[in-house]
Amino acid sequence: MASPALKTTHPGCAQSIVCDGNEAAAWAVALSRPDLVAVYPITPQSSLVEYVSQFIADGKIQAELMNVEGEHSVLSALHGAALAGGRTYTATCGPGLAFMFEPYWRTPGMRLPIVASLVTRDGITPQCVWGGQQDAMTMKETGWIQIYCETVQEVLDTTIMAYRIAEHHDVMLPVNICHDGNYLSYGVTQVDVPEQAAVDDYLGEKDVNWHVALDPLRPMAVDPLTGGAGGIGPSKFVAYRKSLCDGMQNALGVIEQAHQDWADIFGREFAPLVEEYRLDDADYALVTIGSMTGAAKDAVDSAREKGEKVGLIKIKTFRPFPIEAMTRALSKVRAVGVVDRSVHYGWNCGPLYQEVLSCLYRTGKTISARPFIGGLAGADLTEAHFAKAIQATATMWADETTIDSPIWLNEND
Amino acid sequence: MTAYNTITFDPSRCKSCNDCDACMTACSQIKSGTDDLLYSRIKIIAGMNGSLPELALCRQCGDPECTKSCPSTALTKNEQTGVIDWDKSLCIDCLLCTVGCTYGGITYNMTLNHVAKCDMCDGDPACVKACPSGALSYVTSAGIFNDQHDREDLFVPGLSACQGCNSEMIMRHSLRKVGPDTVLATPPGCIPGMGSVGFNGTTGTKVPVFHPLLTNTASMLAGLKKQYNRMGRNVTAMALAGDGGAGDVGFQSLSGAAERNDQILFIVVDNEGYMNTGMQASGSTSYGSWTTTTPVGSEMKGKRTNQKNLAMIMMNHNCEYVATASTAFVEDYYEKLDKALAASERGFAYLHIYSPCPTGWRFPSSQTIEVCRKGVETNFAPLWEYERGGELRFTHSIDDPLPVEAYLNLSGKYRHVSEEQLQHIQEQVNERVKTLKRFAGLN
Repeated sequence: MASPALKTTHPGCAQSIVCDGNEAAAWAVALSRPDLVAVYPITPQSSLVEYVSQFIADGKIQAELMNVEGEHSVLSALHGAALAGGRTYTATCGPGLAFMFEPYWRTPGMRLPIVASLVTRDGITPQCVWGGQQDAMTMKETGWIQIYCETVQEVLDTTIMAYRIAEHHDVMLPVNICHDGNYLSYGVTQVDVPEQAAVDDYLGEKDVNWHVALDPLRPMAVDPLTGGAGGIGPSKFVAYRKSLCDGMQNALGVIEQAHQDWADIFGREFAPLVEEYRLDDADYALVTIGSMTGAAKDAVDSAREKGEKVGLIKIKTFRPFPIEAMTRALSKVRAVGVVDRSVHYGWNCGPLYQEVLSCLYRTGKTISARPFIGGLAGADLTEAHFAKAIQATATMWADETTIDSPIWLNEND
Repeated sequence: MTAYNTITFDPSRCKSCNDCDACMTACSQIKSGTDDLLYSRIKIIAGMNGSLPELALCRQCGDPECTKSCPSTALTKNEQTGVIDWDKSLCIDCLLCTVGCTYGGITYNMTLNHVAKCDMCDGDPACVKACPSGALSYVTSAGIFNDQHDREDLFVPGLSACQGCNSEMIMRHSLRKVGPDTVLATPPGCIPGMGSVGFNGTTGTKVPVFHPLLTNTASMLAGLKKQYNRMGRNVTAMALAGDGGAGDVGFQSLSGAAERNDQILFIVVDNEGYMNTGMQASGSTSYGSWTTTTPVGSEMKGKRTNQKNLAMIMMNHNCEYVATASTAFVEDYYEKLDKALAASERGFAYLHIYSPCPTGWRFPSSQTIEVCRKGVETNFAPLWEYERGGELRFTHSIDDPLPVEAYLNLSGKYRHVSEEQLQHIQEQVNERVKTLKRFAGLN
């Protein structure tokens, strides 16, 4: 059952409802008018596809619903529909995403503007069914755009924006809207649901297979063997790869514009790439990602009240990585503590920390840094955890050191 | 080229069980001026225990045995008409020809004290005209050619399959029938490997063609078909897949699409392995086969497990239509392709074509069709069809099969097979036919 409507509050808003992040994503799907939705359930995504299925059953979404036998086929069906000109949607996470991997890492190369929610879940093993970003972070080098949400409202709004971004002719790439399992998937709050007509205007006419199609009216071979030593040599393969990289870079500007236009129409502003919080006069800062950011901001506020000049940098768009925006933010401080909700095994840190290290080089300054890892397998990250991170970062700033070994925030919980 | 004209027989249409003998009466009258069926040169033999009737008639063979066994040159193949002519003045009544013919096409008439055989009534056979049910038809090679010639060949000339491979034939003939409003998926393997999807911006196919993953052909086509249905466009979603992609790693996707009854024409070209990548074994590889991953050595003598029979598995999905086919019996394939295409408008249609591989199976490239034929005639690869809700129907007789050696001896991949292995293979063949017969309601 969809949640009952409350009174409307904002321009371009049809109604306000109280719901969790999975239902908010389903409302976004309804408003985005997909042609085909393929589903396979997995915790903590399941209620999302249940909502979408019910919306289709009720006629609220006029889309084809495919109940298929696994995530591998979910994305494969979306490939077929997109190549025939359809707007498509699905959602998955964790082991489901792992099973989807083969068609998943092919999707960007075919430049199919598919939108898929990742209701992020930690990786097995140890066996777990709870939140964590290990699944999404494992996929970060496949060429999908990855955008991480902080709030339930942001889930709804960004999922709609995802179609604008994916289908932009300068981008034509698949988009993952990532929202944290447990904390956003099941966290209930009031959200505004935009008006259908306003969303229709915002998204415009879909045009998803102008560049590649399986259509007898425009016969072409899709994805013939390309590259290798024979024929015309490797240049064509290089051209395709390079254009994918160009599309990723183009996405940075398109994501910013999509957020700006959204704010203009619907009155809600979100930092599209990197959010700077109390940073301008800060000596040092935390770097965060996803739903943990709310508690981290509270911890920053508390520390500020005690006289600590601490700020916060939140990343929203992780792929493509907003190098300039992140470098600009990092340049304002002398030390950072980076909090990840997943692990980068190769560097014994979190993946976000490793990306931040790369940007530090771009600042041309010596800035101390330290990795923190927390919130694995659904563990709570509270204000107290961030207070500890702030303290450790402050100490490191004072000592002007960089310590690469991570602090595991839930180690003693 | 010698003309090849013949009379074909569809036993499922024949009304001989209702005491119809119109064809035999017509033959007796026109050839001997009598109603006595003894004089008929065409014989319909009623089926035993509910099986279909069979035809005894000269097939005007392209490579006839009767002319070879005739010591007096009374029997000769007419290059112009394709008819095997019998010259009474040369015949010495030795009857060797009646022994040489496997079709009962030339028989001794005691009253006349001579053999008698069909002469095709100068190209206008009386029996065909007399048949009230359309079971008999007169077929000319020129007619078959003209029928196909009017259809567009949707593949470019000069594809690069191995010499002797029947895949190119399957692709050309299938697409000609299915037509241009088609999207073709060819998962990695021999079919795209021979240039049908193409290389570096060129393609061998005139309909939209795609490399799906080895694993997702059916689900990808399912999504595509749904989108075209939504747009109100009638586009055929067609797959030409190898046995490995369909039956091993892609089986989940195939099974899911069959369960959903997605409207797909799914054709498996079964060469019993991953031949494109160097002849590795697949689930469809038959017991005893040498492949590069089931080699022959001191400890191992080819594949140690039985083959997975994908066509039977698909029949158990209760698809709209499931059939096996062989390029040694192309007209049978055409009929099945027509049925499968029509069935794919309603739901999932599955065709399984045996595709012996000269390169990987180690037989001369001139022998592909012969290997296909022997596969059928030994019951190693029986021909049948199944329509949703109905019973399995054999489209080529499974009675009196040749021993399986007649098939195995043609391919080098069975060269090492021991007596025990041979016996095992024969038992497998017998068992499979027994199972199929149960689905056909025969026992």
